[in-house]
Amino acid sequence: MNQKYQICTKTIMDTTDPGIRFDDSGISDHYHDFQKFVKPNWKTNEVGENKLNSLIRKIKKDGIGKEFDSILGLSGGVDSSYLLHKAITEWGLRPLVFHVDGGWNSELAVHNINVLVNKLGVDLYTEVINWEEMKDFQLAFFKSGTPHLDIPQDHAFIATLYHFANKHGIKYILNGGNISTECVQHPLEWIYYGTDMVFINDILRKYGSVRMRSYPFSSIFFHKIYLPYFKGIKVVKPLNFIPYFKNEAISILEKEYVWKPYTLKHGESIFTKFFESYWLPERFGFDTRKIYLSSLILTGQMTREEALDIVSKPAYDKHKIDEEFNYIATKLGITILELKKYFHMPKKNFKDYKNLYSIFKAGANLVNLFGIENFKRRKK
Amino acid sequence: MLNSRIIPCLLIQNNGLVKTTKFTNPKYVGDPLNAVKIFNDKEADELIVLDIDATKEKREPNYNLIENLASECRMPLCYGGGINNLSQALKIFSLGVEKIAISTSALNNISIVSEIASRVGSQSVVVVLDVKKKIFSNKYEVFYKNGKKPSGIDAVEYAIKLEQEGAGELLINSIELDGTMKGYDLKLIKIIRAAVNIPITILGGASSFEEMSKVVNEFGVIGLAAGSLFVFKGRFRAVLISYPTPTEKRNLLENSLT
Amino acid sequence: MITIIDYGLGNIKAFANIYERLNIKVKIAKTKNDILGAEKLILPGVGAFDFAMSQLNSSGMRDAIEKAVVSNKVPLLGVCVGMQMLANSSEEGKLDGLGWIEGTVNKFDKKLFNSDLYRLPHMGWNNVNQSNKSNLFCNVPDLGRFYFLHSYYFNCNDNNNIISTSTYGNTFASAVNSNNIFGVQFHPEKSHFLGVQVLNNFAKL
Repeated sequence: MNQKYQICTKTIMDTTDPGIRFDDSGISDHYHDFQKFVKPNWKTNEVGENKLNSLIRKIKKDGIGKEFDSILGLSGGVDSSYLLHKAITEWGLRPLVFHVDGGWNSELAVHNINVLVNKLGVDLYTEVINWEEMKDFQLAFFKSGTPHLDIPQDHAFIATLYHFANKHGIKYILNGGNISTECVQHPLEWIYYGTDMVFINDILRKYGSVRMRSYPFSSIFFHKIYLPYFKGIKVVKPLNFIPYFKNEAISILEKEYVWKPYTLKHGESIFTKFFESYWLPERFGFDTRKIYLSSLILTGQMTREEALDIVSKPAYDKHKIDEEFNYIATKLGITILELKKYFHMPKKNFKDYKNLYSIFKAGANLVNLFGIENFKRRKK
Repeated sequence: MLNSRIIPCLLIQNNGLVKTTKFTNPKYVGDPLNAVKIFNDKEADELIVLDIDATKEKREPNYNLIENLASECRMPLCYGGGINNLSQALKIFSLGVEKIAISTSALNNISIVSEIASRVGSQSVVVVLDVKKKIFSNKYEVFYKNGKKPSGIDAVEYAIKLEQEGAGELLINSIELDGTMKGYDLKLIKIIRAAVNIPITILGGASSFEEMSKVVNEFGVIGLAAGSLFVFKGRFRAVLISYPTPTEKRNLLENSLT
Repeated sequence: MITIIDYGLGNIKAFANIYERLNIKVKIAKTKNDILGAEKLILPGVGAFDFAMSQLNSSGMRDAIEKAVVSNKVPLLGVCVGMQMLANSSEEGKLDGLGWIEGTVNKFDKKLFNSDLYRLPHMGWNNVNQSNKSNLFCNVPDLGRFYFLHSYYFNCNDNNNIISTSTYGNTFASAVNSNNIFGVQFHPEKSHFLGVQVLNNFAKL
């Protein structure tokens, strides 16, 4: 970090985000971007309701005569669970519900998917990623020294989603992404694009050792150009058209389904939980809670004081971390010593490897012009 | 009151979890360690892990994998696959496993049962019988080589001999029902149960938790093992681990007659 | 610090894993020197009584353990056969037990009940009825379920030594206690959360 430490006076984003900029009042660009670009387009009142109804009508119309009118990736987390609940019980949609098993499902995730699928009577598809391949892929990222350890899991999700949609001729991807809790953009230095195949291939070439026979790969061209423009597949985020409050969503899910909430976002994957609560903050100083909590501040669901209080304590559980560290190492087939070695090795990021960042940036700028959210999709 | 045990049975091939149908067509189901962790978090009664290729490939059990799986289990773990002698069995026990399961090695030489049982106690020795009903008969024949070769040995007679040799538990595996979820073979349970006084565990065909409850009502305390039921979901056989919650288990099992 | 006695029987690793996850220090004792200075002792055990007693007798640790437990009142928890070894003798074998809790070990009598309903070993999850309040069962609900795997049971001479009972045909002692000496017939190292609670309670005595 070149700047001295500074924290936004409105949100809690700070200079651990290398790209942050402040105005003279100490307010960050995250705040201004929200006010200027996101808030004006975010309508959850009648305007939103009309947009939603119109979308639902369109999905249903395009789905006539087909087995499924949409597709929804279910991780067992709040956003996708709530989205499924709404899609079936209120909107009358017929999504193909699928789950990607990257080898790190927590019992909570599996339980939640089960209770939803049982009660809603939907048919579930799963894609099980070959663990030997996933393991090697993840280890390659550990060896790269970059923070981007979540890419193997995230890429598998994105690729599978699009392949499934394409295979079943489904035009609408229901995405649980939402402004309510995710309006603050991830700094790319923390969470880089999961579909930069040039970057991924460079990492695999340098550090991978297992041939990726069955791992589902996608490319930015496939799902950002071919599928949307040639096959007409659209990603829609219905949670942006309704008032969406996390606590309310959790209450409803608990009541209706005996759904179990997590203490931390992304608790549905044991690896992601370790990655975000320990590895990123402790090794790199990147605390992703700041992004999530800043989003809650901007959307009026939390005060800045409450958020500051939360991040004043470590994201990981001091009593359980040794056990988690042990499990992660065991599962990856390495010793605790080796995992610690990766923890202490020199820090790198995507810029130290071949990448398509400039192309992504150009594309993002283009898309931004149309006021559509463009930051990297996160598994919900 | 002693409850029947509800036991997930996991099959391992090439260090990955697979699920077969009638002992063929293995479908890849994921990482064994994560599955074991989930079953542990779901407070499963017991767990059976069988390496289905160890004997065929004439290799040692994967001790590293066994040790890792055992460390994630806070319930009894039974391991089977490739165990031919006492020293392998002892090594596996030292890794944190409660019971070992043998199949082919007992068929080849039944005295291995007493050899291991006399050292560690019968309670830790499970013998697996892979069986198929004989055509035009009420009898069942024991098969080996992963259910492909008939041994010519009658299942009931064999079960009686195994009890005499000191087996602590019999795992009766129905080849024809494997992976089908069509329901347990009740006739098979009946004849084996009547023939021996040691605990038996039935595997193959489990269709639902409700069915398990019915089996307990009919036969009393029995081990209820299943693979597909705990690993697949719905008509597309989506891979998703499930297991009755403690409350569901209580409701299913405590309606029995005992 | 919990010292687990490794005399060749029992799931040592399972106990060690549980204590490590509770962040409680664990030591595995293989020689008499390992017993010196022990703060708490666990005596695991599976299998036959005579075999277990002869393993313990030839382990070289027996005297040190006896001194620690009987003279120095170091708390000890015997598990399964480890509990049965606390008795004077067992029907299962010919060797003497440790005799630290007066009683004999008897086989479940099949003649007393219908053997079609009850098979041996007693194998599976059964209720533990806390008959005498004990710190070993702190935060463990009464009638909680634990995993059992045995064909013999402990017959106490003095009923005051019984801290919990379970029923399998007969009602028998599933846990015993006399001063610093505890025994559980079930396997706390394999009984999920309640088992962990019992082991944690033992560590905190």
